[in-house]
Amino acid sequence: MDEARPTWRAKIPDSGLRLMKSEYDVVVIGAGHNGLVTAAYLARAGRRVLVVEARKVVGGAAATEEIFPGYRFDIGASHAGLFRAEIQRELRLEEHGLELIESPMGALGLAEGKILRLWRDPEAAQQEIERHSSVDASRYRDFLAWVEDQASLLRGAQNQVPPELSPEGLFNNLPKLVPWLRLALRLRGRGRRAVTEFLRTIPISAEQLLDEWFESPLLKGTLASSGVEGTMQGPKASGTGLMLLYQATNGFPAPVRYPRGGTGALAAALVNAATERGAEIQTGERVEKILISDYRAHGVVLSNGQKIRCRAIASSADPRHTLLDLVGAQDLELRVMRRVRNIRFRGSTAKVNLALDGLPKFEGVQDVRELTGRILISPSTEYLERAYDDAKYRRWSRAPYLDMSIPTLLDDTRAPEGKHVLSVTVRYAPYQLEQRDWDKEREAFGDHVVSTIARYATDLPDLILHRQVITPLDYEREYGLPEGSIYHGQMALDQLLTMRPIPGFGRYRSPVEGLYFCGAGAHPGGGVTGLPGRNAARIIARDLRRR
Amino acid sequence: MTSRYDVIVIGAGHNGLVNAAYLARAGLKVLVLEQREIVGGATVTEELFPGYKYSVFSYVVSILRPEIIQDLELPRHGLTLLPLPSTLTPLPNGDYLYRDDDHYHTLREIGRHSPHDAEAYEEYGHAMYFMAKAIKPILRMVPSDPSSLDPRELKRLADLGSHFLGIGEDNLHTLIKLMTMSSADFLDEWFDTEPLKATMAASGIIGTFMGPRSPGTAYVLLHHYMGEIDGVYRAWGFAKGGTGGLAEAIASSARSFGAEIRTDSPVVAVVTRGNKATGVALEDGTELNAKRVVSSLDPRRTFLDLVPADLLPSEFVADIQRFRFRGSSGKVNLALDAAPEFTCWPGNGPHLRGAISISPSIDYLERAYDQAKYGEFSHRPFIDIVIPSMIDPDMAPPGKHVMSCFVQYAPYELAEGDWETRREEFGDAVIDTLSEYIPNLKDILLHRQVLTPLDIERITGLSEGNIFQGELDLSQLFFLRPAAGYANYRTPIRGYYQCGSGTHPGGGITGAPGRLAALEILRDLGL
Repeated sequence: MDEARPTWRAKIPDSGLRLMKSEYDVVVIGAGHNGLVTAAYLARAGRRVLVVEARKVVGGAAATEEIFPGYRFDIGASHAGLFRAEIQRELRLEEHGLELIESPMGALGLAEGKILRLWRDPEAAQQEIERHSSVDASRYRDFLAWVEDQASLLRGAQNQVPPELSPEGLFNNLPKLVPWLRLALRLRGRGRRAVTEFLRTIPISAEQLLDEWFESPLLKGTLASSGVEGTMQGPKASGTGLMLLYQATNGFPAPVRYPRGGTGALAAALVNAATERGAEIQTGERVEKILISDYRAHGVVLSNGQKIRCRAIASSADPRHTLLDLVGAQDLELRVMRRVRNIRFRGSTAKVNLALDGLPKFEGVQDVRELTGRILISPSTEYLERAYDDAKYRRWSRAPYLDMSIPTLLDDTRAPEGKHVLSVTVRYAPYQLEQRDWDKEREAFGDHVVSTIARYATDLPDLILHRQVITPLDYEREYGLPEGSIYHGQMALDQLLTMRPIPGFGRYRSPVEGLYFCGAGAHPGGGVTGLPGRNAARIIARDLRRR
Repeated sequence: MTSRYDVIVIGAGHNGLVNAAYLARAGLKVLVLEQREIVGGATVTEELFPGYKYSVFSYVVSILRPEIIQDLELPRHGLTLLPLPSTLTPLPNGDYLYRDDDHYHTLREIGRHSPHDAEAYEEYGHAMYFMAKAIKPILRMVPSDPSSLDPRELKRLADLGSHFLGIGEDNLHTLIKLMTMSSADFLDEWFDTEPLKATMAASGIIGTFMGPRSPGTAYVLLHHYMGEIDGVYRAWGFAKGGTGGLAEAIASSARSFGAEIRTDSPVVAVVTRGNKATGVALEDGTELNAKRVVSSLDPRRTFLDLVPADLLPSEFVADIQRFRFRGSSGKVNLALDAAPEFTCWPGNGPHLRGAISISPSIDYLERAYDQAKYGEFSHRPFIDIVIPSMIDPDMAPPGKHVMSCFVQYAPYELAEGDWETRREEFGDAVIDTLSEYIPNLKDILLHRQVLTPLDIERITGLSEGNIFQGELDLSQLFFLRPAAGYANYRTPIRGYYQCGSGTHPGGGITGAPGRLAALEILRDLGL
């Protein structure tokens, strides 16, 4: 590692067994950001915690890797704009090395011959929208207020443990309901209109939501794109409006915050926070099996054969792998098995990371600052819907929706001087291809993505030094994302709250006593928020106190 | 002042008639005004070609509330329901899927396609029966307003909550899935056989502008599962004499209670004084006075066409403006010289007496939707066919037949061209599609009537040709139908009520909106 650059790597032992103990309070499966958040909170609560990570790198789908010497690529998430401030504060992540660099740009929307600069600053954004539609510009401030209104309620719900939907669950333990009642009162406190408006918004589509406010296709396409993150649905689908708001829970347009050193630096800071309180991290070792006796999970078996006993297990792996592979059918009820099998994953995301010899010239861009946020190719909701149509019939989108970022503009640790990293999230790339195979399609797909970008930045192909293409299949094989689902299960209305990850087990406790869900498959879901990990830690700590 | 009524009902569709009948039955002096020369609205039978009678728009009856049949003594007024005992799904490969009212026969037939599905079918039937039962009370109640702090509303809400908690946790999860999932996803959890899934999913998309993979369609699937004839769930039927026979029976019942029904009397405005409705103005300039006015028209016409906008709160107007109609279906009515001959099932068999569904696979339906969502009618559409003359010989001359084809998707607005110039092209697409399964169709075709969403709007007044007076999606159901705060059949104008399918519980021949609105009016009158 280059000594001149700030060190962001976590103090993690290399692979090989260096465990001090063979007994822990909690074993956390997976060192993705959620697993690490859980570990850090539990360690802070005085628990003996071990995190076991199959890969040699921490971060899971929020890892940063030096695939080509000198270039640090984000494997999954390209930034940490959704990460919760309260976690950052409570775990003192800044002291542990986290530095977030925020872009003044929200999103740069590209269309053929048009460009939309959606600045974070409302006034600047409004002026820019004015160029596209004065009606839209006049509504933008009201829209921001409306989004914030709805998003603040979502924020409230995201921090809570979902309610149980049975008379016993609801009424025998009233304290559990209190936060939800408080939330309901807060909503009611804003007036009758707010209540009905919120309820009405939950099932509508991103397209409908935006059609009710705006007319400019580019503005609507740019905004609608965040409604289809992590789902195999187009912007006409019910529930995508809610997802649009979900992406707005840290502000709108969603802030772009790059951890210095790459998204993986967030995981590194979390590791530091956890290990400072005595947690241990074991990388390069896979959990093969969860040990169960008397209907209770009491330990894990590692890939090297070692058994580790513990009082609780928090799995940040996806729920299907956790229950079907690690627990196994013999210890699950049939109806639970069914629910697990019914989880819809349907990965729809691929990634292309490019190492560039210089900054590509995007048509219409006047100032380099415009490129520091998300650069979006989603020129209209119809474009987005057509991109989805292809995936519906198991083809990758002929005209894909691309979400790009160039972190090197704000962070000089990511590439050699003068060089750049362009990180491209591609949607839609269905996990299953009709009569084709991702292993054979990978490079053709990469070419297709590059040529799509080249329509907006003609010099791009000549600047490419290295390219990494991550398909949904790669996400599954290398990063443990089932069917390449970056959110461990689609964020659809029937897979939220009490229904997430499986109906009836939305409170982080799995069907097996002592085994907990703490990953993106649990409430409130995917994205680099840290919330599933934090909420789960609360429940685990509470249960450990009781026993 | 020309005359004086207690209530004037605008529109003699089935909901308007049910509403009038209930009000007259309670002793009120009721007048129903209908723009057309016949009663029924979208529930009419017309002799389009000499000797051939058609249920021009709606064509099957199932979700008509049994209490309405009883209260209004409809059988005594001529209502006879004939069972529609089977569903045939012909397949492009010459095979078919056939389900009928002989349960074991159906299981064997499904088993022919997939033994697993035959097993699942039984279990699915139980689950849906339970779901339909669980949700039925909602069809009988005025929606409670979750934003209200009125003790009566809060109690209703609490009752509703405890009703749903009472069905048990597992069932509640299934209900949440039904309310939010796509019909394709929901059915995928149960079945493998494409034509089975597609034909069932088709009932989830009827009348909506969504595809089988669109979240929210599973609910419509349930909505259609609530068919109830003589207490049997999931039983569909015909009204003898076509659906117009049903409207005639309700009209006859209303008249027997003293209601007056005037056809050829289009209402152009509701007359108001202050913030109160005092009557209506007819197209010919006549003004009729009444203490109360009820509109059975859809929300757009009820509020944006008939009353002055300045009497309505601006938020309410905005709500009605964003209420989505989006007609998605057309109708093609055929007169046939002989019975159609299906490749998959030659001859005149029992399959012709049931429903016939052109829905070979989920992808087929989804592709039909794909075309429509960009403004083109489906070139290979979903078609739901019935041949009423097979069961009810009065509908066509001896040996001849009438064939009713419900066609989806047909968007209200076309991206290219307009319906005036492309109507017959749409009809051709339907005939061509059908001919793939019925090779002799073109030879036996005598007449055809093609109805586009635009035609449906022009003839019946349904905005954008939406057969449900507004889409049945979650954001337009229950307390949001047609707008928050006004789902209890009242309106911002005193003395003005609404009772059409645009109100709770929505479209289909249920009569429930008409009845519930009548009960609310009677409550306001202290009756």
